[in-house]
Amino acid sequence: MDIAELKAELEQHHAACFGWALSCCARDRGEAEEVLQTVYLKILEGKARFRGEASLKTWLFAVIRKTAATEYRRNLLRKLRSAVSSEQVSKREPAGGEVDAAFDRSEEQVRFRLALQHLPARQREALHLVFYEDLSLREAAEVMGVSIGSTRQHYDRGKKRLREVLERTEVDYGISWRGKENPGAV
Amino acid sequence: MELVGEEKKIQALFSELRLADEQAAPSFAGVWNRAQLRPRTRVSPLNVSFAAAAFAVFVAVVALALWSSGSRPQTGPTNHTVAVTPATPSVTPPTTGGPTPKGRSVVEQRQAARNLRAARFAARQKAELLAARRAEIRDATAISSWQSPTATLLSSQNDALLNSLPQLNESVKELKSFLPNK
Repeated sequence: MDIAELKAELEQHHAACFGWALSCCARDRGEAEEVLQTVYLKILEGKARFRGEASLKTWLFAVIRKTAATEYRRNLLRKLRSAVSSEQVSKREPAGGEVDAAFDRSEEQVRFRLALQHLPARQREALHLVFYEDLSLREAAEVMGVSIGSTRQHYDRGKKRLREVLERTEVDYGISWRGKENPGAV
Repeated sequence: MELVGEEKKIQALFSELRLADEQAAPSFAGVWNRAQLRPRTRVSPLNVSFAAAAFAVFVAVVALALWSSGSRPQTGPTNHTVAVTPATPSVTPPTTGGPTPKGRSVVEQRQAARNLRAARFAARQKAELLAARRAEIRDATAISSWQSPTATLLSSQNDALLNSLPQLNESVKELKSFLPNK
């Protein structure tokens, strides 16, 4: 695949890639853009090479995930060096202003985003890849670099945890979920 | 994948999220161009720290090798036959006192200082070596003349008799002394 062809393919997946990068960077827009740039640079330099072992989208997502992890570690080191307090370093909560500034989001959506941040990374990734990117569990497993059984477990636990967090934050649709679990209870 | 119940709800929430993200996503051309403009070779801090550590280890090894070769005694088998001589270092460091001659370049001055340091180092080494040898000889002398404090308890009047053996052609009279008394 030559570079022009690859560029066209990348352009098709760009929005999805950005969404995935956002998820990998704890919804930090600047960091997600930086990660995406690094990924494109890796592709341009030939450091990341598509060998056709998986679909391009799956491969791309795996590269983004790895790059985001590297960038996160690098940023962590940088912050440690500049003697930022450990609380600021370890917490990757999105900035409050960022949450409500960019879009006209509903309260439900904001709660949902915050709930996502409370999930363990693996569970969040599994849910994101399945629900957001419409990947199958097998493809999600390829992206995450784990077995399909493990991915299924993260997916199931993620759903359960998300429901618990949303219920805890008193989201309106808590009743409907409880209703699904125990249909005869209502 | 067929979605049921809560999955549909989650799907709806994720769809909404995706829609918002797509609206806020930067243009592909922008990100691609910025990636192209970025410097190609970036040395990671890990590599730098690894190189620094490797260099430090190398310097330490070289210093250790130099130190060990410098402190090794350079005498051969005549180590124990060294005559005790006064430990006056024979190396006379070049004199640097007094005003520096006119026209002498900075390089020469540095060279002279370096020579002085080297000469001092050599003199110190030689003095240390001689002191060590003197100590060795002193210890050896002390060991050879050492006597046990209980040695007197083992001596008796008949030591000469006990320590001697009868000789051939010795008179019978003298030999009698070896026989038990009847």
